[in-house]
Amino acid sequence: MNRLISISRGHINTLKNNLTGSILAPNKSLRDVVIIRGLHDQKRNARSTLNYVVAIGVMTVGLSYAAVPLYRIFCQAYSYGGTTGHVQADDAISNMTAMKNRPLKIKFNADVASSMQWNFKPQQGDITVVPGETALAFYTARNPTDKPVTGISTYNVIPFEAGQYFNKIQCFCFEEQQLNPHEQVDMPVFFYIDPEFTEDPKMEYVDEIVLSYTFFEAKQGMKLPVPSYVKQ
Amino acid sequence: MSTAMTFGQKQFIPTPPDKGSFPLDHEGLCKKTMTKYMKCLLSNNGNNSLCRDEAKEYLACRMENNLMLKEDFSKLGFKDIESNLKK
Repeated sequence: MNRLISISRGHINTLKNNLTGSILAPNKSLRDVVIIRGLHDQKRNARSTLNYVVAIGVMTVGLSYAAVPLYRIFCQAYSYGGTTGHVQADDAISNMTAMKNRPLKIKFNADVASSMQWNFKPQQGDITVVPGETALAFYTARNPTDKPVTGISTYNVIPFEAGQYFNKIQCFCFEEQQLNPHEQVDMPVFFYIDPEFTEDPKMEYVDEIVLSYTFFEAKQGMKLPVPSYVKQ
Repeated sequence: MSTAMTFGQKQFIPTPPDKGSFPLDHEGLCKKTMTKYMKCLLSNNGNNSLCRDEAKEYLACRMENNLMLKEDFSKLGFKDIESNLKK
């Protein structure tokens, strides 16, 4: 055993040349066996190193694939980067208090796509709201044509940073709405501004928020690229 | 809004509504309550805090006519208003 331990990788050649008078290899065959065993050790060490390196490579590739859903879960849990969690607890709404010292003016804007023939406008130009208080607003849409037209809408909030505090409880966006010929309908939006708005330093000088809805036409059988979180 | 020139600028990410979409009121069943709410808003110069009763009435009308899921009003932020319309 002592003979094997004393043979280190780099010294095989020097041992081979050290023939006569060597205590470590008294006769030729024993010396050869010792050298071969050293070579075998060297191969085994090299192979295990290779295994480790391959394993680390595979783990890195696997981690980079797993990072995508993990990051998404992390962002939703901690509302990082403006994403909001999917579950807005009902008790959050029932427990929030209105901040009467910070009135905000919400302006409403309505647009239609150029090929869309509806008349779409807000019923009120603006309303004054305080964070933490639920508010109701109305839009009106009218179909002046002789055919039923289906529309689908999306919305926008300006300034962008205020959009994360603008929570809609219920509205009429992202789902197809059909209007019969010459029909007029009122569309409500029920929303509130999160009370944390008052604690955001970036929102210190924001007193006006613009909510803008745009209607597009949805033809029968046309598949619109709706966001993945919309319930079909 | 998102054209080729907006690369690198801040993106607006729309979020879905908490309770989904309002079904359309095709027959105009709640139009009266809606007009009351709009009149209140106009007379109060757009101040929402003074018109919450009418807003609550409108939502109650929607719930009665099956145009909205029935919910406790405290969950909709109306717990400070006492009303016998509470379902």
